[in-house]
Amino acid sequence: MLKKMKRVPALLLLFAVLLITRCGSNTGAEEPKKVAVIISTLNNPWFVVLAESAAEKARALGYEAKIFDSQNNTALEADHFENALASGYDAILFNPTDADGSVSNVLKAKAADVPVFCMDREVNSTEAATSQILSDSYSGCVAMGKYFVKEMNKKGKYVEILGLVGDNNTWARSKGFHSVVDNYPDLKMVAQQSADFDRNKAMEVLESVLQAHPDIDAVFCGNDAMAMGAYQALVAAGTEDRVKVFGFDGADDVVKSISNGKIAATGMQFPVVMAQTAASYADEYFKGKRDFPQKMPVAVELVKQENVEDYLAGK
Amino acid sequence: MKKRLKYIIAAVVVVLLAYNSVYFEKLSEVKAEAATGKFDAASYAATFWDTKLMPGLNQAVEVNDLMAQLQSDKEAAFKAHSNALGIGNIRYFLIKGEGELSSINENDVTILAMADGEQKPVKIATEFVYGNAVRDALGLVDLNDFSNTMDLNNVSEELNRKIRTEVVPPFRAAAKKGDKVTFIGAIELNKEHLRLDEIEVIPVALEVVKE
Repeated sequence: MLKKMKRVPALLLLFAVLLITRCGSNTGAEEPKKVAVIISTLNNPWFVVLAESAAEKARALGYEAKIFDSQNNTALEADHFENALASGYDAILFNPTDADGSVSNVLKAKAADVPVFCMDREVNSTEAATSQILSDSYSGCVAMGKYFVKEMNKKGKYVEILGLVGDNNTWARSKGFHSVVDNYPDLKMVAQQSADFDRNKAMEVLESVLQAHPDIDAVFCGNDAMAMGAYQALVAAGTEDRVKVFGFDGADDVVKSISNGKIAATGMQFPVVMAQTAASYADEYFKGKRDFPQKMPVAVELVKQENVEDYLAGK
Repeated sequence: MKKRLKYIIAAVVVVLLAYNSVYFEKLSEVKAEAATGKFDAASYAATFWDTKLMPGLNQAVEVNDLMAQLQSDKEAAFKAHSNALGIGNIRYFLIKGEGELSSINENDVTILAMADGEQKPVKIATEFVYGNAVRDALGLVDLNDFSNTMDLNNVSEELNRKIRTEVVPPFRAAAKKGDKVTFIGAIELNKEHLRLDEIEVIPVALEVVKE
């Protein structure tokens, strides 16, 4: 009897251990993996769309997702990476603040075996991120350059307004455009200046250029905000009907301006496609895939007078 | 005396250090050395042209067949015949056809296929040969072979340059309105916003048929 009594607690103990182990393994299997969405800035609606689309897609795939705003500050971005790694996030969907400055943050995640998928902006390293999903700005601007030359009948004077000079997209767009336009010697670039992707700065830059070159025929801008600023400067100078303005991004106001003849063309980018692809890649990574392309281009579409109907809101 | 020796030794050490810290090399040699590790887009494009594109030309789909397929089942036609390196709506096809040269314009030529009287003229670009159509149409370039996007862009650039300088000029020099012409080339179509009236062929092979 005494022997039997001794056996009961031992069996109970064994049962309790089995129960705890089972509970533990159940919790591990049911707890969703966590995805951090770290975005350069949420001060610009374009990046808000990028962030929210990435988080929504991650949630739709069954993961927990949280958005971190780096406020265009690489130091704050570094804090977000440290917090994400310390809090046990399993993947990072990342829009960097700085192509060079953000590399060390991505490397920290890599060292912690946390995959990083860059969206829209790249980091200047092919060894850091698991994959980088980027707008094919160069090819988009090749198409833009081709349209530009046709619209200009291969001759005329033009101004180029660049974005941030430290941003890779600025130069990818400029190089793509020039890879076509520079083959036409009668197209003369009379000024090339940066306006930091900013509408007001673009207006000021073009106002000052117009004082020296009032006879320009076209303005090519590295983004749509600057195209709108350039258009304002042309309106102030009374030359908006004669000078053609070309932008890049596919912003709603510029697409509308193309349809009513104010802007000549823009390159439509697809932030939702980039964000959703990054989230899907994270999902595939969790399921064991490892061979991702280092850089995955996302096609940019030329929006012009002839096809603007396809791109007006709701289409 | 000892102090003097110390100073001399210190001076020798400083001179040695300074001598070993600064060296001169010819800029041309440094540049040549840096270039050896660089991707050579021109030779990649030349090899791609000879060993992949030319042998793959028999996969081109006949232009009228493709148009009919696109009109009857767009999804199936894109799935069967299009390729693209990136993600998105823009896809590329390799097509072929033959017909009568109906016009010779500044930037293009148009060809009317004789097989089908209702066929719209096919526009062949002879001036604006740019973009990724030729690189991507057969799906033979592997994105994973490239870590640098600029290398990929340069491959397109070199292929297009070859067409602009080697394919187009002899054709334009020989072709006359009314000639029978055969062509193989790449086209770009937008899957979401399909416009069959804007098709422009980037020619890979373009010949006047001697009868």
